[in-house]
Amino acid sequence: MLPELTSILYQFGTNAAFLLLSALGLIVILGMMNIINLAHGEFMMLGAYAASFVVHRGMPFPLAVIMAFFATALFGIVLERLVIRRFYGRELGALVTTWGISLILAQGALLLFGPYMPPIPIPGGAVSVGVFSFSVYWLILIGISVVLVAGLALVYRATRFGLQARATMQNPIIARSLGIRTGQIYMLTFGLGAGLAGLSGALLAPTTSIAPYMGQQFVAPAFITVVVGGGANVIAGAVGSSAFLSLIETPVSLTLGTFYGTMALLVMALMVIRVLPAGISSLGARLRPIVAR
Amino acid sequence: MMRTLRLLNGAHDLGQGRVFWSGLALLAVAFLAYPVVASSFTATNVAYYLLNIPMALGLSLLWGYGGVLSFGQVAFYGIAGYSYGIVAGNLQEFAWGTVAAAITALLAAGLSAAAFGYFVFYARVAAWIVPILTLVLALLLATFLGLTAGYQWRVGDVQLGGYNGMTGIPALQIGGVTFQDYAFFYLVVLVVAACYIALRVWVNAHRGQVLMAIREDVLRTELLGYDVRLEQLRAFVIASVLAGVSGVLYVQWGNYITPSAIGLQQAALPVIWVAVGGRDSLLAVAIATFLLNQLTYVLSSSGNQSALVIVGGLLVAVMMFAPEGIIVGVGRARWLRALKVRRWSAHPGHGE
Amino acid sequence: MSDLENVSTDSGIASDGAQAVGASAGPTRRSLIQGAAGLAAASVVLAHPAIVRAATESPVKIGFIEDESGNLSIYGIQKLHAAQLAVHEINDGFTLAGGPVGSGSLGTMGIYTPTPPTLTSGPGPKLTIVDDGGEPSAHAIVTADPEEILIPSGEKGLLGRPVDLLSSDGQSNNTLWQQLARRMIQQDKVDVLVAGFASAEREAIRPIVDQRKQLYFYTNQYEGGVADSYTFCTGAVCEQQVIPVMQYMVEKFGPKIFTIAANYNFGQLTAAWVRSFAPVLKAKVIGEEFPPLEVSEFSSVIAKVQAAKPDWVMTLLVGQNQSNYYPQAAAAGLHLPMASTVNMAQGYEHKRFTPPSLANMHNAVNYMQEIPTKRNQDFVARFYKMFPNDPYLGQMAQNTYFSIHLYAKAARLIGTTDQEKVRRTLEAGWAIEAPEGTVFLEPATHHASHYIRLAATDEKQQISFVREWPMIEAWWLQRLGVNLVRHPEYKQYTPQEDPFFKMFS
Repeated sequence: MLPELTSILYQFGTNAAFLLLSALGLIVILGMMNIINLAHGEFMMLGAYAASFVVHRGMPFPLAVIMAFFATALFGIVLERLVIRRFYGRELGALVTTWGISLILAQGALLLFGPYMPPIPIPGGAVSVGVFSFSVYWLILIGISVVLVAGLALVYRATRFGLQARATMQNPIIARSLGIRTGQIYMLTFGLGAGLAGLSGALLAPTTSIAPYMGQQFVAPAFITVVVGGGANVIAGAVGSSAFLSLIETPVSLTLGTFYGTMALLVMALMVIRVLPAGISSLGARLRPIVAR
Repeated sequence: MMRTLRLLNGAHDLGQGRVFWSGLALLAVAFLAYPVVASSFTATNVAYYLLNIPMALGLSLLWGYGGVLSFGQVAFYGIAGYSYGIVAGNLQEFAWGTVAAAITALLAAGLSAAAFGYFVFYARVAAWIVPILTLVLALLLATFLGLTAGYQWRVGDVQLGGYNGMTGIPALQIGGVTFQDYAFFYLVVLVVAACYIALRVWVNAHRGQVLMAIREDVLRTELLGYDVRLEQLRAFVIASVLAGVSGVLYVQWGNYITPSAIGLQQAALPVIWVAVGGRDSLLAVAIATFLLNQLTYVLSSSGNQSALVIVGGLLVAVMMFAPEGIIVGVGRARWLRALKVRRWSAHPGHGE
Repeated sequence: MSDLENVSTDSGIASDGAQAVGASAGPTRRSLIQGAAGLAAASVVLAHPAIVRAATESPVKIGFIEDESGNLSIYGIQKLHAAQLAVHEINDGFTLAGGPVGSGSLGTMGIYTPTPPTLTSGPGPKLTIVDDGGEPSAHAIVTADPEEILIPSGEKGLLGRPVDLLSSDGQSNNTLWQQLARRMIQQDKVDVLVAGFASAEREAIRPIVDQRKQLYFYTNQYEGGVADSYTFCTGAVCEQQVIPVMQYMVEKFGPKIFTIAANYNFGQLTAAWVRSFAPVLKAKVIGEEFPPLEVSEFSSVIAKVQAAKPDWVMTLLVGQNQSNYYPQAAAAGLHLPMASTVNMAQGYEHKRFTPPSLANMHNAVNYMQEIPTKRNQDFVARFYKMFPNDPYLGQMAQNTYFSIHLYAKAARLIGTTDQEKVRRTLEAGWAIEAPEGTVFLEPATHHASHYIRLAATDEKQQISFVREWPMIEAWWLQRLGVNLVRHPEYKQYTPQEDPFFKMFS
């Protein structure tokens, strides 16, 4: 019984970690800046490319992941200065623009670097419990995604940047009148979001093949996670929704097959939004008055 | 009659007055005369650039005039296409089978849009969630249809066909006329013209005004006694039926449809056509749809690997330098007004 | 990436051939809206790239559509380059050895078999056999291995005309495929169409091909079953790949099979073959899993395989997302032997993935660039001389290469590019010396028999060929009674239409 239970827990953990990592950069850019970034998958691709590039020039993988974060963040900042900053308050314009950017990045990567990048070996071995064996790296990824989300929450709750950022998101005009340099906040937020996407891309790179169009696989899960999470508190929402969605997906996949798992995930996403239009994070806000009573 | 004509000439689209309508009439005549000089291949190709216009017009109504962006119009395009294929394939021996199929297809698109729209609009979800919800719908449908490869997935005589798609879809037949080649071209031109005229009347009529009022301010419109949910749902259904029109035309063009016609890549295309043209002008959207379809084809048929990069660059450039759309930008430019085209009252800027 | 730049011209590599290809910058077509009031912007993109050439040169046109950008470009560019190599060789005055040889049974194939089939090994009586070029030659039967397969054709180009490769990029987009196929057939009026990677792409253009009676080569490995009078399928099909690899795997590793197949047409149909032939080989499919193409995270699939404890795993996974299965399974400690019909030979996963993701993988292929025969190594050298930066030369690239040579040979024999006549000539029982070995084009089904080798990887993902079948016929359509020479057909058969498969499903 124990091996089966461990296996189910492990699957639940990997499903949730996959959703959370896919969504990480998007949480910041969509949640904080209200920009629907369709180039999110390509930012992840850039992170993976950067990591692959330096790993094959001798850099250890953990360092490469950190480097991928800064490289993608820098790219994000440049992009924000050149293009994105023209689209604040015009979210749908930003949507079309980021779609254009995603086309350029993916096909540009194909033209510049060819159809694939050298892969990164998966670090760590496997541990076995009964007949099942589990990838150590995925276990680490589960841990890392928890740490990343906690860190992100900490940045936004406990730092000066976080406070200013939240103020800017809530009301940019008042924030500006209070002396917050909102332009800078936007730039840094976008850079942070891009960097986190790159970081996730680099972290997931060993588990996938590193190719120009690799980003597409993350786009749908990322958006579903963020939307189901809702906008009241994006970070908590994303955690809740990735846990919830994998709670649905894992048992269905296990009993009925992967196809039904995927369908269940999509259908549940629709259902949740019908019941909780503001996402799972609004559940907390709804419950609070009841609990207080 | 006069009233309809006045509505047609109304302020809520580019182009009014005699000069404009004569130009448009000339354009229509040019299209109708085109088969005289064109081979059946080029006519069919031009028909393809045109047949996406109804879907784009619908999205323009929904997004440009109604302020609701749907990323999943291709879902209704697909529903109509597949429904047409199923019904037409099963009624092949009946003379009016394909006509019945076309009607069923549009009904299917409309009804499914009504059901889905009820979920979305009566839940009053936030505006930015609607595009993602509709995208999820399209992905769900594409995923499902992709899995219908087995022999068990058949409706009557017609196989759904999974990723390889549904093949051998019969062309529309009315009486003795089968709409192929030139006849299909004429059909498309007439349908597109009819859709444009009808929508233009619609946006200038009362319902259109209400829709624009919702776009400007939801709360204010509601306080004026309009049911915002119903109005948005209505626009959504109209847009989806128009997407269905495109879907029905598409399956006749290629006699074929696959789930990838509903996939992520395709889902973004209508949004791009509408955004590049200028979403709050039906005419601009129609022109942009035509030109962008042609651009994609010309670039790729020349074997140019940079086609996608060029399209992407174009999008970014348009959104940066002509944010309200290229064609609307040109249409509202001062030099054009100087040409005595009657002044078109621009909307005040509005939040999205 | 200078090789990528080559792609952008219609005439491809023809420039260094002696016969210059006609100027492709003909007058552009003016379209209707030009000049219409207020629509000046229209004219920017209305110019069609119609290819108009001087009548005197009138090249033989080979229409070619592959995905050079988008998701499937990893396969498309290989195929394009192989096609360019073939056209280049034709224009330089070369052809592959081979010709119509009769019924196509093993005996008549003897002269063309690169290594002796076992039944006739050893010294035999001296026989005089007429070689393809008309030269009498004395060989012991079936031991002749023409190492030099690229021989002079006697002319530069084809029928005194240069050969022109019109290539278009399908961008992994089915609608575009249809548009391009129509353009090639109706406007460019190509003499032969060579196109198609995914089955969906083939099915998208086949109705157009049939409607216009276009001679069409589909060069991919695929699930089988296409019986179409105008289509020639030169890739390997299920009966040539699935049964050999299963036979080997059952012998070597055991009878318990777990199938993981992509949940779409190719995966489901191939899985049906595995399921139905397992009992014949005294094996059993103990579990099946069909992940959708969108899935890219495989922990639950891996857990199911671990719980089922099979002897080996049949992986029929396709596409970018699904290739993630291999590194993920290896990292999770799942090191079971694997078999496949798609991996390595197309997307060169053994080169792209870090060991041991693809260790202990087996695939019955008709071609991989690692085949050690001299004729193949010469071919590989020619390919990389022309495209030094290419990462791999795979199965479908080779199929494309010999198919174009085969077309040229048939047209040269009948003396015309008239499509109906060339098609009938191709139904004359052709054997062609491809880099893989001898390929026989079966007239009745328009499919090819292939030289099948079982490729296996070691821990370091190095390829070795552990078993060879010098000729396996594409026999399934024959079994169903398809004879395109006598009874024209335009459909794709599925295993559900064969009572044999019902017995086991």
